[in-house]
Amino acid sequence: MDRWQYLIVLAACLAITAPLELFGAGVFRQPWRTAGAVLPVAAVFFAWDAVAVAAHVWAYNTRFVTGINLPGRIPIEELLFFIVIPLCGLLSYSAVDAILGRLQRARTGSARK
Amino acid sequence: MTGLGYTLPAVVAVIAVCALEFGVLHTGLFRRPAYWISMAIVVAFQIPVDGWLTKLSAPIVIYDERHISGIRFPFDIPVEDFLFGFALVTAVLLLWERQRQRDRGHGDNP
Repeated sequence: MDRWQYLIVLAACLAITAPLELFGAGVFRQPWRTAGAVLPVAAVFFAWDAVAVAAHVWAYNTRFVTGINLPGRIPIEELLFFIVIPLCGLLSYSAVDAILGRLQRARTGSARK
Repeated sequence: MTGLGYTLPAVVAVIAVCALEFGVLHTGLFRRPAYWISMAIVVAFQIPVDGWLTKLSAPIVIYDERHISGIRFPFDIPVEDFLFGFALVTAVLLLWERQRQRDRGHGDNP
């Protein structure tokens, strides 16, 4: 069970933030824009990760990962981290932006009356 | 102890992201209250998640102490992780804003 730990942490992050999709224009409903924002940054951070692992700056505890590795001996969880965490950030930002926009429209709307 | 492996790159990543905004993209993201509120939420969630990943009793990510400043706060989180997280999420939001403004057909200021 231990080896699912990192994966479960990532799944929990996504599960908690996914409902924020309901606010505003959403993230999952704009897959191209989302991919365009997430993938280039994920590529840079994945490269950074590969260098850090190769240089023994940090390592992943084999007890808590599935053992499925990508080139550079990077656990698949780490690639998913660079997709999941940005999605959580985007979902939060998109929702906050939508809520602030709604509040502002309500305020200017009532000011006009 | 040297901090060269993680502390230095983490600081450079933050500078690079700021340079991307102020030198290249000019999205105005840093002037948007939605950005700062979101970042506060992100950090609030980073603490339990990252705290779990880095807890010294059963770490998922193990750092070579020679490459970090040694300051771990809160819990056992290396402070460098907050710079890393800031750079990661901010870079994604910058690209997101740029695309949104492009689609709307104007550059600076929402």
